[in-house]
Amino acid sequence: MLTTGKALKVSITVSEGSTYHGASAYASILDFLFYRGISGATVLKGVAGFGADHHLHSASSVEISDKLPIRIEFVENQEKINEILGKLEEMAGTGLIEMQETTVVKAAQQSKRSRPTPQHMKIEGKARMMRIYVGESDRWQDKPLHEALVQAMRANDIAGVTVYRGILGYGAHRRVHKDRPLHLSHGASIMLSAIDTEEKLKAFLPLVDRMVEEGLVVLSDVEIIKYSWRAAEVKTE
Amino acid sequence: MKEQFEGRMLRIHFGESDRWEGKPLHEAILAKCQELDMAGAIVYRGIEGYGTSTRVRHASPWKLSRDAPVMVSVIDTEERIAKLIPHLDLMVGEGVIAASRVEVTRYTREAKS
Repeated sequence: MLTTGKALKVSITVSEGSTYHGASAYASILDFLFYRGISGATVLKGVAGFGADHHLHSASSVEISDKLPIRIEFVENQEKINEILGKLEEMAGTGLIEMQETTVVKAAQQSKRSRPTPQHMKIEGKARMMRIYVGESDRWQDKPLHEALVQAMRANDIAGVTVYRGILGYGAHRRVHKDRPLHLSHGASIMLSAIDTEEKLKAFLPLVDRMVEEGLVVLSDVEIIKYSWRAAEVKTE
Repeated sequence: MKEQFEGRMLRIHFGESDRWEGKPLHEAILAKCQELDMAGAIVYRGIEGYGTSTRVRHASPWKLSRDAPVMVSVIDTEERIAKLIPHLDLMVGEGVIAASRVEVTRYTREAKS
């Protein structure tokens, strides 16, 4: 955790196209910093520049240059930087690493969001399972229907949904879908399975009515044996 | 068009390499479901599992001959499912058939085939 006072600011300049072990160098460096617990890092993209090779690189709208400079900056205390500097040198390859003393006037705060407890946190015993059968090529507005349904369920706080792709099947339209290996089959049968309380699913059904033009919706009783989730690990997007 | 009815859902579990009259069993079952005009049937391939023979089945990408667990789910009314069961009895040599009560809503596009 970064505190106010003396610290070091590290800037690493690499070219956009440079790679480290096959992956983009700046992305690899950023990942490395992230997983080593560095307080924060910023990647900046230059619009033009030249480096050790003394070639001028600039962004042109006609050609996409992968030689543009990318700068990764972060501020950290001496100790932590000493720990990671060796690896950074290796990752930066032909790039430049510079360091300067700096003073942290105000350390960035970790935002603490008090998350409201979702209503679906407690489901016990009797619940309902909803299975929706559609085709993979079915669309709703501008996206695949099954994706739209998942998003709609999320927005409606349905406890969870899993999408399955069948290898063979037919539904309301009696067209057999066959999934061949090494073949992009777009008409495969898709099944979405969601579990929640009766009221929650009932409230969602009118949406299904509107979105599903052709397909089957099947409801059945289920008993929840265990439903738990780690609230601390839920990411807010 | 929207229709609603009380129905049954069958789930038939077996292995992908199981066969019936020279055809893969899941294809044969699907064909039978179509022949009997079942409302819907889908075949799923599991990635791992074991069944009645307690032999672990794997879907290995490295082997062409795989014996992944397969599940066929069939939905229709109680009476129509009852008609399918004797056929399944005959066809499924080794496997599990599970039935449950379900409420079905069926959406169909009108006058379009």
